[in-house]
Amino acid sequence: MTLVAIGAAIAVITGIGAGIGIGIATGKATEAIARQPEAKKDIRSSLLLGCALAEATAIYGLIVAILILFVL
Amino acid sequence: MLDKIVHAINEAMANETVFTIPIFGGIPVSQSCVVTWIIIAALVVISIIFTRNLKLVPGKRQLIIETCVGFLRNFFRDQIGERGMQYFPFLATMIIYIGFSNIIGLFGFIPPTKDLNVTAALALMSIVLVEIAGIRAKGVKGWLKSFAKPVAIIAPLNVMEIAIRPLSLCMRLFGNVLAAVIIMEMLKAVIPVGVPMVFSLYFDIFDGFIQAYVFVFLTSLYIDEAIEDED
Repeated sequence: MTLVAIGAAIAVITGIGAGIGIGIATGKATEAIARQPEAKKDIRSSLLLGCALAEATAIYGLIVAILILFVL
Repeated sequence: MLDKIVHAINEAMANETVFTIPIFGGIPVSQSCVVTWIIIAALVVISIIFTRNLKLVPGKRQLIIETCVGFLRNFFRDQIGERGMQYFPFLATMIIYIGFSNIIGLFGFIPPTKDLNVTAALALMSIVLVEIAGIRAKGVKGWLKSFAKPVAIIAPLNVMEIAIRPLSLCMRLFGNVLAAVIIMEMLKAVIPVGVPMVFSLYFDIFDGFIQAYVFVFLTSLYIDEAIEDED
């Protein structure tokens, strides 16, 4: 059981990537809005899309971790 | 404490069968299916109430629904253009259904999108629609040719995308909703008073709508890509 739990914990490390990705994307979006406030709407929608795509990796990690815990 | 958390996760993972229809050797009806029926019933009732005796000069009730439909139409017109608007009814239905099923946790139901089967079905529907849209816009020959674009050597990757796209759509929605349900259950097990309400605001409402938006946004992006003509 301990080894399985460690495996699941390693799978959740994918969250790091998603965190860095979303952080960079949000930072750039804030910069872009500061530079061009009139483009706020477009920037927001592409930021949302990018965040959703970046977040997906963390979600895959979560699913793998849950599968490891409950299926193995 | 730990037992409670484990119990909460187990409960969130379980996909219970509510009852069995006693024909053809018994068809099991799962919880997600029953909640979906409830959502369908609620949406049908709302639609009937709001679209009864429509007038040329809108009253208050009609104004609300016209604003909502107009908002959705503008949103999708930006995404898929005038040519893609023939797929608007499907996309709008999809976003309303997913949005409602994501926030139904507020009313004490289990969100049906927590069930992998539901999200897999939704993703399959949208990928079939994307490919059919491609065939309708370009013809079978043009559709087959579109796999070899921009260069012929990446054709295998383009074929693989048919499988990868629905897989990622389905897993993204399922994982997000399941994670939200698990975290909410854990919070309720640890601190039952006050705190879950604040988090529910994020996990149930904000995340639910964002995920519905992302699902439909990606589907419309794929449709747009499928029907665009380069030559």
